[in-house]
Amino acid sequence: MKLTRRDFAAGMAAGIVAPHIITRARAQGATVKIGMCAPVTGPAAESGGYAIKGAKLALDTVNKAGGILGKQAELIVEDDQTTNPGIVLAFSKLAAQPDIVGFIGSIRSTQVHAIAPDVLKLGKPVMIGGTDPNLTHMGNQWLFRCRPNDSYSGRVIAEYGASTLGKKKWAVLHSTDAFGTAGGKALTEALTKLGVAPVLDQGYANQSQDFTPVVLAIKQSGADVLGSYFTFENDLGIFARQLRQLGVNIPWVGSPSITDVTALKLAGPALYNTYGVADYAEDSTEASKAFANAYHDAYKVVADGQSSWTYDAINVLAQGINKAGSTEPGKIREAILAIKKFPGAEGEYNFDQNGDGLHGYNVVKNEKGSIVFDKHIEFTD
Amino acid sequence: MDLVLQLLFTGIGIGAVYALVALGFVLIFRATNVVNFAQGEFSMVAAYLMVVFSVDLGWPYWLSFLLSLAGMALLGVIFNLGVYYPLRHRSFLPVIIATIGASILMANSVLAIYGPQPQVLQGWFDTPGIQLGPVYLDSQYLLIIAVTIALVIFNYWFFEHTMLGKKLQATSQDKEMASLLGISVSTMIMLTFIYSAVLGGLAGILVAPVLFVSIQMGSTIALKAFAATIIGGFGDVTGAIIGGLALGVIETFGAAYISVPYKDGFAFLVLILFLVFRPQGIFGERVAEKA
Repeated sequence: MKLTRRDFAAGMAAGIVAPHIITRARAQGATVKIGMCAPVTGPAAESGGYAIKGAKLALDTVNKAGGILGKQAELIVEDDQTTNPGIVLAFSKLAAQPDIVGFIGSIRSTQVHAIAPDVLKLGKPVMIGGTDPNLTHMGNQWLFRCRPNDSYSGRVIAEYGASTLGKKKWAVLHSTDAFGTAGGKALTEALTKLGVAPVLDQGYANQSQDFTPVVLAIKQSGADVLGSYFTFENDLGIFARQLRQLGVNIPWVGSPSITDVTALKLAGPALYNTYGVADYAEDSTEASKAFANAYHDAYKVVADGQSSWTYDAINVLAQGINKAGSTEPGKIREAILAIKKFPGAEGEYNFDQNGDGLHGYNVVKNEKGSIVFDKHIEFTD
Repeated sequence: MDLVLQLLFTGIGIGAVYALVALGFVLIFRATNVVNFAQGEFSMVAAYLMVVFSVDLGWPYWLSFLLSLAGMALLGVIFNLGVYYPLRHRSFLPVIIATIGASILMANSVLAIYGPQPQVLQGWFDTPGIQLGPVYLDSQYLLIIAVTIALVIFNYWFFEHTMLGKKLQATSQDKEMASLLGISVSTMIMLTFIYSAVLGGLAGILVAPVLFVSIQMGSTIALKAFAATIIGGFGDVTGAIIGGLALGVIETFGAAYISVPYKDGFAFLVLILFLVFRPQGIFGERVAEKA
């Protein structure tokens, strides 16, 4: 057979165009794909399992309600190994698949920071759970947060302790890592705005074996309330026990780790009657209760904050794509930012232009080991 | 004064834990001339064995304690045969690297079985502690201090007044001479590993009700215990005990009166000062090169 110039030109054109046609056809395939980076291995593997369960439960709900753009939604999970290099690798694997229209990122701020440049380069929506306020204030328009950020937790701890409990002599205790330092600073700033100057601002190094000097400092400061940001549950457990053993029984309002299942197990009665801020509280709203029931029915375990935010992330993303009527990233972004009064498991979503969906926290109380919802404090500024 | 007494009690309590682990470091160093960087993991493994027997299987505490120590003795045998013995004729460096490898293997094996979440282990006593005037005495710390004192007495008696103890000492001082005198050097080294694993395990079991049972617990304690051995004088049993206690007290008072976040820093500052001004430690003897 003789190859003519016309045949050659047609062949070349087909060769150039075909991959694009195939890619577009895959992008418009039978399912709508969502990528998820989750710690399947590493220190956070247990909580990662809960996060995946929450996302899958939401996906089932979305699919039963008609799916995304009339198609069934599919979740593609990559292991982030609970490390920054791990999540960069996991995200790059997912980003290389052009038919993935949106992503679920990490609950850890440090991991979100690690993938942020790649997210910006890719230009597709990524739902995150990291609570560092900077994440949505550093010019990355593709990050959408499904948990309240730490500026709110500090304000809620201060507001609850000072206004509801009526305490003015604060001891602020925080770890000296990025999370604890930022949290302690947010709490101190919030107290200052309320006209309260802490009588003690105390940092501690993670993995401390003994908190006796800290407890004695609190005792000597004459504080009548304690606000805390603990990073690790075992530190919290050791401190709680020593606090009570050394006779300090002042009210204590802590960051979300004080309500963590592991912390409750380790500290036991030492945490009774303490207060904590929690992004997820089962009894806070009807949507939270419905999620808790559905999660328990599906997996026979109690829902927690690890699963609730991924559940919301999938639902918000699906709602955004459906409202956009397209998988074009820019349109999805606009649709997510337009979401108001969306009832999620974590609370009511009202996205601001930075990409923050939630603007308040629940306050819960430890009543003999059970976490009981007390009140929700929402901010509009 | 109340504050000082409270800090002193806590410092001695935590220092006693460092001392127990430091003792394991010293015994193996004396017998083999290498530092066993898996010594901290012995503590961690023993604490998890206690969780298995006492919590998971619900066996009596004393039985779980004895079985855990027996398990540690077995681990000492395996460690000797699997890590030290094949490399015994090599220089100290491959052996040290092997102990680091074994430490990583133990930590990750326990992580694979138990997961990353810390576990709770109850203490020996139902009463968490007693209030003695202005000072609160944690019952577990009281036990740790009592066990440390008992072990100091036991070690003195064992190494100075028993034939087996003297054979162990002879082996640690000069293996060739010990061998010429009919002492089975390999058996003595095996016994040293068993005793060190049991000592490390004992520290882990005693401290677990205070610090909880976690994968990191061994490495956290071992780092301080290692510093304690250098402060006390590497290779000296009394030095390990004194070094451990001193370290516990220094870091507790440093945290209370200077800075809490730099608590660990005080321990290592003391270590650096010793390395610069008295590298042989408190009880060590200066070693000079022959011309």
